[in-house]
Amino acid sequence: MENQTFYYDNKIVRNFAYATLFWGVIGMVVGLLLALQFIWPALSFGIPYTTFGRIRPIHTNAVIFAFVGNGMFTGIYYSLQRLCKARMFSDLLSKINFWGWQFIIVCAALTFAFGITTGKEYAELEWPIDILVAVIWLVFGANMIGTIIKRRTQHIYVAIWFYIATFVTITILHVTNSIEIPVTFFKSYPVYAGVQDALVQWWYGHNAVAFFLTTPFLGLMYYFLPKAANRPIYSYRLSIVHFWALIFLYIWAGPHHLLYSALPNWAQSLGVVFSVMLIAPSWGGMVNGLLTLRGAWDRVREDPVLKFMVVAVTAYGMSTFEGPMMSTKTVNAISHFTDWTVGHAHIGALGWNGFLTFAVLYYLLPKMFQTQLYSKKVANMHFWIATLGIIFYAVPLYWGAITQASMWKEFTAAGFLKYPNFLETVTQLRPMYATRALGGGLYIIGILLGVYNLIMTVKAGTFVPEEAASAPALVKRSASREQGEGIHRWLERRPVQFILFALIAILIGGLIEIVPLYLVKTNIPTIASVKPYTPLELQGRDIYVREGCYTCHSQQVRPFRSETERYGEYAKAGEYIYDHPFQWGSKRNGPDLSREGVVNGRQYKPNSWHYNHMLNPQRLNEQSIMPVYKWLISDDLDISTTAKKIRVMQLFGVPYPEGYDKIANDDLMKQARGIAYDLKSQGIQVEPGKEIIAMIAYLQRLGKDVHAAGNPTATISGK
Amino acid sequence: MDMNNHNTVEKDELTGEKLLSGHEYDNIRELDNNLPKWWVWLFIITIVYAVIYIFVFDVIRVAPYQQEEWKKEMVAAGSLAPGQPAPVASASLVALTDKVSLDAGKDIWLKQCKVCHLEGGQGLVGPNLTDNFSIHGCGYADVVKVITIGVPEKGMISWKTQLTDDQIMKVASFVMTLKGTNPPNPKAPQGEPCK
Repeated sequence: MENQTFYYDNKIVRNFAYATLFWGVIGMVVGLLLALQFIWPALSFGIPYTTFGRIRPIHTNAVIFAFVGNGMFTGIYYSLQRLCKARMFSDLLSKINFWGWQFIIVCAALTFAFGITTGKEYAELEWPIDILVAVIWLVFGANMIGTIIKRRTQHIYVAIWFYIATFVTITILHVTNSIEIPVTFFKSYPVYAGVQDALVQWWYGHNAVAFFLTTPFLGLMYYFLPKAANRPIYSYRLSIVHFWALIFLYIWAGPHHLLYSALPNWAQSLGVVFSVMLIAPSWGGMVNGLLTLRGAWDRVREDPVLKFMVVAVTAYGMSTFEGPMMSTKTVNAISHFTDWTVGHAHIGALGWNGFLTFAVLYYLLPKMFQTQLYSKKVANMHFWIATLGIIFYAVPLYWGAITQASMWKEFTAAGFLKYPNFLETVTQLRPMYATRALGGGLYIIGILLGVYNLIMTVKAGTFVPEEAASAPALVKRSASREQGEGIHRWLERRPVQFILFALIAILIGGLIEIVPLYLVKTNIPTIASVKPYTPLELQGRDIYVREGCYTCHSQQVRPFRSETERYGEYAKAGEYIYDHPFQWGSKRNGPDLSREGVVNGRQYKPNSWHYNHMLNPQRLNEQSIMPVYKWLISDDLDISTTAKKIRVMQLFGVPYPEGYDKIANDDLMKQARGIAYDLKSQGIQVEPGKEIIAMIAYLQRLGKDVHAAGNPTATISGK
Repeated sequence: MDMNNHNTVEKDELTGEKLLSGHEYDNIRELDNNLPKWWVWLFIITIVYAVIYIFVFDVIRVAPYQQEEWKKEMVAAGSLAPGQPAPVASASLVALTDKVSLDAGKDIWLKQCKVCHLEGGQGLVGPNLTDNFSIHGCGYADVVKVITIGVPEKGMISWKTQLTDDQIMKVASFVMTLKGTNPPNPKAPQGEPCK
């Protein structure tokens, strides 16, 4: 068989590598700013664009989609060509993938700063950018599948299985979770509401972790680890079993983000058991990675690439054990809504993704520049400082989480909450927050050393944009299984069938969990007293979404005595049916707000309190870490969108009367004048047309309807 | 070629384990090792756990769902903590004056009350408690009553679910000491002058 000569496209790999470094530094510096805002809330600077709720999505999206995303493309574009013995399918698609992705990142950062967001965690992008993401993602997929189709190797290697699962699943997740109806060019409402929205969102959110942060990186591990160690993969059989088990089981585990919520019990149970069953399939990847290093451990001490890989794989093993533990109801009752989740996420992001990304960069940049890594010493410094950074980041958050959860739950002998003031439980964590910021700072110093080292490497080397390679052409083989050929071995040379099987594996869990929530009415029992939001409350709610209040405040009281005593009635599925999007949140740096408007409730505050609190939270309590929201007081509420918003809600079946859109603003102004009048009676002069009025209207609505339905909490607790 | 060619079994030099023939991808080879036994058992145990869990919680329903857990917790708490005695507010009550009680009262004040009345009692959201005016009465018993049952429509919540009678009496006693302290930036007088 005659060898064919072809060229690997190294330029696209290099571009993605540079983008990875650039966005990595930016994403992490924003993260550090957020960490510092926990200690000095004044670092929100009193302007919207730098306030916590708006820049937190910039940080999370930048790290996930910009840093890890570009890192993933770097590794895939490098390894896929070599594993297929083929150049990328199309240089044009490669370029569109690269520039399209960078454009999306810039759009994301700008829109989030301007408060343009859907308010769904890790899916905050508004609809025009969602469409762009889908298009660019399909371009990537087409380019990848095209390359696989025109490969010169008979079989596709395990790394490519993981790349395929990544592409297929992220496509489905992104499209399904982003179905929304535009109100304006910058504002949409998701078609899902309340419990349904929560389930779809966390099915997405959890599996974005699975198929954006995990499967592509397992693929990268399967290529770069054996290459760097120069050792054979420990077990091909393990690869098969853990790959299929992982992608099949992962998709079911989303409900573990909603334990003790208003999600139906059966769906929660599925979330628990599928998370626990994920331990072995996840560890399959770690085991196959670490056992591949047998016989190379002496080199792990010497080679920075292997060193970073070992910590990455170990961090992966730790998070994939911790995750299932946090998914049991016993642990979740403590860890959920605390910073434990944040610590857990960072073991994954900093340890697994961050370290593996740098291992890949330290491996492939010197190769493409025909040189050695500039300095092993600097790489070792990066390694140790960043490792220390992870420890300083995570340990205080775990400690703080246990402290805070205990304080939330502690009762006095007389049966009262020991710490009824939520703020006490935050103030207690300040030293932990400071140490966490230090840990993050150390990690960034490590990254900067890495960037320096790679810049010097690139400077010293000579880039090979077109790397020559040769391989024999693919021999045509029978489409059906040959004698003695295992079924999986057959599948490995039939990529189209492989993609179909992967698609089926990932669709089953999602369909079984999500579809019944739409078809079976008993899953969301209706509550007669729950009514749609008034136009003013709806506008206020959109401000709540815009400012990212959900990044610190939950709207989900769990059925624990410590929560019903603190907040009031626990959450019911039926109370959220008009919430497009749901705003349950995932952590409580501030108290839950879902019972804020219950006049006889424990959380109730008068209008004038909310006004003063938004204007200057520290005046009410100097320990408060709530940012200042003074622009809500000076900015006019945009009521030009009210009619359109009402019409979109009607489209979803929200029962506003026919033609209500035309008179909605009359009702809005009437309600606004009432609030302004009440504030005036308290000596506060504010025009009814200001944003703060809408925000107060929304906060004062929270929880009212469900409490109007009767208060079983009171009868049972005897209070 | 991918054939089961038993004649030429290739072995890994370092471990002596069998390499799979035909499994070579950009010079990456794969070993023919079995799944680690402990790993298989781990997987089986988690699957068994899952089956039992679903059976117990969702099929035969002998383990409590979260709503039932909550009821149990509330019933248990109800039997542990006796209900509040009858409302304490009565005209015969006398403010506490000992330092220990007043310090305890101040502690509660700083945690719960100052977010509306501000630290010195000068008032912001809630009324000024240092001047000689009051909306709901000037006496100690009046203060106890307002704290206990609240004035919800004005934003003063009832504290009886969060403070014991003893704590209410202490914080009310502390409030009585604020009168006439003249803190900076006081809120304008509200209500009726005290006699």
